[in-house]
Amino acid sequence: MGIFSSIMGKTKPVQANLDEMFALPSASITLQSAAGMSCSGHAGVCFKPPTGQGFEEMQAEVVSLLSMDGSGGLHQEKDSFGYQWLVVEDTDIEQLVTRIHLVNSSLSDSGWGPQLLCSVFGLAQLPTGAADAAPGADTESAALVETAAGPGQLLTSTAFLVYLFKRGTFYPFVPQGKEHRDTEQELKLKSLVADDLTVETDLDRWFPLWDLPVG
Amino acid sequence: MSTARNIPNDHGLSLRMFFTGLMLVVLYGAVIGLLIAFGISYAVVLVFAAIILFVQYWFSDKIALFGMHGHIVTPEQAPQLHGVIDRLCALADMKKPRVALADTDVPNAFATGRSPNNAVVCATTGLMRRLDESELEAVLAHELSHVAHRDVAVMTIASFLGMVAGMITRIMLWTGLMGGFGGGNRNGNQGGGDNAALVELLVLVVSVVVYAISFLLTMALSRYRELAADRSGALLTGRPSALASALVKVTGEMSRIPTRDLRSAESFNAFYFTPAIAKRGVSLSTLFSTHPSLDQRLAQLSKIEAELGRPS
Repeated sequence: MGIFSSIMGKTKPVQANLDEMFALPSASITLQSAAGMSCSGHAGVCFKPPTGQGFEEMQAEVVSLLSMDGSGGLHQEKDSFGYQWLVVEDTDIEQLVTRIHLVNSSLSDSGWGPQLLCSVFGLAQLPTGAADAAPGADTESAALVETAAGPGQLLTSTAFLVYLFKRGTFYPFVPQGKEHRDTEQELKLKSLVADDLTVETDLDRWFPLWDLPVG
Repeated sequence: MSTARNIPNDHGLSLRMFFTGLMLVVLYGAVIGLLIAFGISYAVVLVFAAIILFVQYWFSDKIALFGMHGHIVTPEQAPQLHGVIDRLCALADMKKPRVALADTDVPNAFATGRSPNNAVVCATTGLMRRLDESELEAVLAHELSHVAHRDVAVMTIASFLGMVAGMITRIMLWTGLMGGFGGGNRNGNQGGGDNAALVELLVLVVSVVVYAISFLLTMALSRYRELAADRSGALLTGRPSALASALVKVTGEMSRIPTRDLRSAESFNAFYFTPAIAKRGVSLSTLFSTHPSLDQRLAQLSKIEAELGRPS
């Protein structure tokens, strides 16, 4: 947004940046080896549904496209702030990111990029067995390391990585009880994924997302 | 103002507003004229006026918050307000302003602060109580658009330019007229007194007219900025009708609010969401109000609504 359009009162809606999201699988591997954590298999896209038939048709199209490939769960929810969530479940992290990307790119390709707020990926502590297996993976083939990047089963998310579309950055969010966040854990996660992901440096933008519909 | 109770209705309110504004401008001009008459140079007066405006601009957030009894609230104190603003800022990719709450029943919101880095968005408890989620969001998106458009800076500069225009007119007239008549006066001193009085009167009238015109232009600019903020805000939330319904609700409520509250809020109209003056059918009002008429704002919003509804 240029200073001129700002002063003329003609700010343009900001388009979404989708590319940075593909770094997530490698961050998941780093998290697994360093903290015994992994993607929980849950992820969601949050957007502001505008009025009008055009958007509703688009949304229905995306949903039918997602349910077509059949793998993993999918459900829609509306939160208390009036934002729409498309929640996707998939045990394979690559697949999960691809499906989330499908939602994002369909929306932004048809001109609704400015409506995208964020994507959220659930993180979970791996069961001790799986975490023990991970250090042993270095003697195994690379293929085993790759499968270890996914949880293999759906876990309950205890922490989240939030992707801000407009910034192309991630930030960690760890809710703790009712409307409290575990800042220490968030900062720890931030330093763990900092090499793999573009982390949001402006802490003011790490806004909380209470009552996430993402499992 | 105990006499205010005896006035049966306020048909002339907008008219009075106009003359109040005009008188303010005339007063401003008179003070400057007086300073000049005391032999203080134009440059000093201009610097003095600039300093006053600069202080107004630089401390706009503190002055407005103080005047409205608004106080900065933390996310813990107002989780709903913060939640809505957090999300809107992420959608618009802008820095989150400070959030304030004013404890008054006048349903309104305003944005202030000299730059987006120092911005404050303030909502009143009356607004939070009356509007539902999507309407509140629409109003806050409108206020955030004011922040993004740097409206405090633009309006301050605009009013300063108006003042400078008035002063330049004065200087030009003085030098021009004095130059013309002065040459003749130097030879014969007898008729000089008459001429000087006439010239002084002429200069006063012209400069007052220029001040008045710049005042009207500033008001017109303010109305244009309001429409621009309506538009950007509606595009941000994607729901122009939510803003329209908030406008209808708030302006409907405004006329029912006790006069005392209205008066205490009037001085901040320029950065308000809707002015705290009930809309009456005085046609002149469109010329000098800081905000466009409700009909005009609703018409624009319904146009945006139609644009969004078109299949992609």
